[in-house]
Amino acid sequence: MGNKEGVMNQISRRVFGTGVLATGLVGSLVHSSRAQGEPKRGGTLVATWGGGEPQACYVPAGGGSSPTFSSSKLFERLGNRKMTGEFVGELAEEWKPAPDFKSYTVKIRKGVKFHDGKPMTVDDVIYSVSEIWKKYAAAPALSDFAGIETSGDDAVVFKFNKPTPEFFFASLLCGNVNYIVPKHVYAGTDPVTNPANNAPIGTGPWKFKEWVRGSHFEYVKNESYWRPGFPYMDRLIIRYVRDPAGRAAAIEAGEIHIGVFNPIAPPDIKRLTATGKFVATSKGYEESVWATTLECNMRNPVFAKTEVRQAMFHAIDRNLIAKTVYYGYARPGTGPIFSPNKEFFTPDTYKTGFDPKKAAALLDAAGFPKKGSAKRFTLNLLAAGWFAENGKIGSYVKQALEDVGVGINLTVPDRPSSIKRIYTDYDFDLAISNQSNPSEPVPTTTQYYTSDGIKKGIPFRNASGFHTDEVDALVEKIKIETDPAKRKAMVVEFQKIISKEAPLLPLLELESTTVASTKVQNHSNDPNYLAASWHDIWMAS
Amino acid sequence: MASTSGSSRRNAALRLLKRRLLQAIPLMLGVVVINFVLIHLAPGSFLELMTAENQVSDPATVELLRKTYGLDDPVWLQLVKYIWALMHLDFGFSYRQNMPVLDAIWVGLPATLLLMISSITLAFVIGVAAGVVASAKVRTVWDTAVSVAAMFFFAAPSFWLGIMMIVLFAVKLGWLPVSGMETIGGGGGVLDILHHLILPTLALGLFYAATYARVMRSSMLEVAQLDFVRTARAKGLSRRRVTLSHVLRNALLPVVTILGVQMGTILAGSVVIESVFSWPGVGSLLFDSVSSRNYPVVLGIMVLGSLVVIAANIAVDLIYMWLDPRIEIR
Repeated sequence: MGNKEGVMNQISRRVFGTGVLATGLVGSLVHSSRAQGEPKRGGTLVATWGGGEPQACYVPAGGGSSPTFSSSKLFERLGNRKMTGEFVGELAEEWKPAPDFKSYTVKIRKGVKFHDGKPMTVDDVIYSVSEIWKKYAAAPALSDFAGIETSGDDAVVFKFNKPTPEFFFASLLCGNVNYIVPKHVYAGTDPVTNPANNAPIGTGPWKFKEWVRGSHFEYVKNESYWRPGFPYMDRLIIRYVRDPAGRAAAIEAGEIHIGVFNPIAPPDIKRLTATGKFVATSKGYEESVWATTLECNMRNPVFAKTEVRQAMFHAIDRNLIAKTVYYGYARPGTGPIFSPNKEFFTPDTYKTGFDPKKAAALLDAAGFPKKGSAKRFTLNLLAAGWFAENGKIGSYVKQALEDVGVGINLTVPDRPSSIKRIYTDYDFDLAISNQSNPSEPVPTTTQYYTSDGIKKGIPFRNASGFHTDEVDALVEKIKIETDPAKRKAMVVEFQKIISKEAPLLPLLELESTTVASTKVQNHSNDPNYLAASWHDIWMAS
Repeated sequence: MASTSGSSRRNAALRLLKRRLLQAIPLMLGVVVINFVLIHLAPGSFLELMTAENQVSDPATVELLRKTYGLDDPVWLQLVKYIWALMHLDFGFSYRQNMPVLDAIWVGLPATLLLMISSITLAFVIGVAAGVVASAKVRTVWDTAVSVAAMFFFAAPSFWLGIMMIVLFAVKLGWLPVSGMETIGGGGGVLDILHHLILPTLALGLFYAATYARVMRSSMLEVAQLDFVRTARAKGLSRRRVTLSHVLRNALLPVVTILGVQMGTILAGSVVIESVFSWPGVGSLLFDSVSSRNYPVVLGIMVLGSLVVIAANIAVDLIYMWLDPRIEIR
């Protein structure tokens, strides 16, 4: 949760593609399920992902997808969310709210040991929550956190200043990098620079063995793992191959068994799955849906009128972008909550479908009529260069907006420059950016639209500068509403307001893919598979 | 007499070495200053990226970090401090790797040097051999074959060549590994590393081999026209002996010259090849450091890279003297 995809590595999003259509996805999953049987023990699994090597094996604040991928096999969270949507305990056995929902008692699992043999205790939980979650991993989510204390030998009590909804609390326990870290390793040190971040000691199914920089991590089976009989495999290698074509070759040659988060380009997905030796699936990303967004900088007086912002979206054919830029592996977004979110999504929002005539009419009505060949106004469009696809989308958006009489100056800066210009300098009129949100909308989603999300220099927050008292008040209510039905109604209201206001909307919701050898079993079985522990993965003979 | 000549050549070599080392000082200073300024002109800083990655919004913490990394000083003072630290072999600290810059570079340096040395050796051996064959069999099918091959490898981008070789030799034929420097968990021996080294060496080295082949061919043909070669032939020496002992040695001079000049471009080329083959060298580190504005590491690699180029050029000068003793007279 606290692990906003703060800084994304340069990943080619061309890896989303048409390739995995019927033959790749459906056919290969049938093949995969047929191969399922009695789990085979032992062996080495070599995995990769669609990005580069992390800056550290574990980054307390998250640090992006790469360190989340590497650290999530070593550390564990108090809770986990299953594919069915159900929350289950991991290092916690159970949790229960107080009648006023201002505190939660969490019973800690007994018999869990860290990789160095020391037992995990409530002290580790208290340290992790108060020193790591509160300060780094989940700081925005814990804005109303009042403290944590022990309740006997095997339980802790989370205290909040305000009533805290159960779904919010459960999501907090399952947050991407809301891990329980060993107090005896981190206490008294700076957690950001602690050398243990490069050789972590956790409670997870895998123990850190080696990091060959520029090449791979080697993890070995945790023989003292608290889940009896797991993990199935002896060794897990996380290998880094920068180039998607190189990844495709390594997967094809059998050097890599599984690649998550768009490891290879769409044509390669189609080619590999057609052999029957590989499967591709878009399962395992339900809790980490990525979107490509268009942000209007409200500091520009042009965007003061809602009609202008709505016109930006009506002028853009998002189906065309999905088809040409993402090879069909994307769909137009409808509102601030993404469609795979079963808890809160509503399709009943203001429709920003492709309609250039409506866009022109809205601009006319807003007081920007087109006079001859002159532009209505000119905007600086910044396409964030951390994904190659953003630049391509930028080129199309420029054409589309120019077709309705809006002049566009397009720039595609690299990652550091994009972060600085969008989130520190607010140096853009329109920005093509990206975000990835879990199901719980507070604060990850809502902070893009509230005044407390405007934090200069902090990426993936409210850079548009949009805020209204109505939305701020509504989000405050969502934060504390403990009745699930009422809370859902409020989130639906939130979506309706935001989609109509259109300060920042997803152009597209992206579909991520995992590619694996058919020998790899029990994968993609977690709604955030990149950040899952992989304790139950195994390889058929 | 021979001993006097040997001693005089040794002294000349030492004088040259001393001169080159003295010249290297302002050169290195220029490298540091230019790179430092260029890097600081790029928008975005590592502090901004660091605070972004760690979601630090507290101004006091940002200020503390600014102070910790010396970014609260004016840029000119940062430069002076950096040069002073360099003079004490302190290359700074890499926040991203959470270790001293020199340690971070040292992790990948052996792999890069291995790739560079193997590529340049391959390029030199194949290039020179191909050039000799082409010049000896001028206007024959051999000459044409060398020219066509040289044109192909000169024109083919090394990353494309690398991917094509991976597809053919690793994926289709299964003879060689796709990427990496050693078999993970099961290798690490010399033979294993050599096995992994073949494809990246070919991908990087064949471009330079093509260049050397073209230069060597024309140089051989030019030298073969000179009087001393005609004299050697008139003395009754065999064609093979004339070619190898007289023509080849003198024809090597231009190849040796461009070899020294190209050390820098080979280092740059290794960045691409390391990426294609996931070779764990400083190329990957440089790529990551540039995209994360990790200035200390970028500067460290630039400085060490410049040192390698300077050392290579000094070595070339010495080889030059050995190949052509007249050079010490000039």
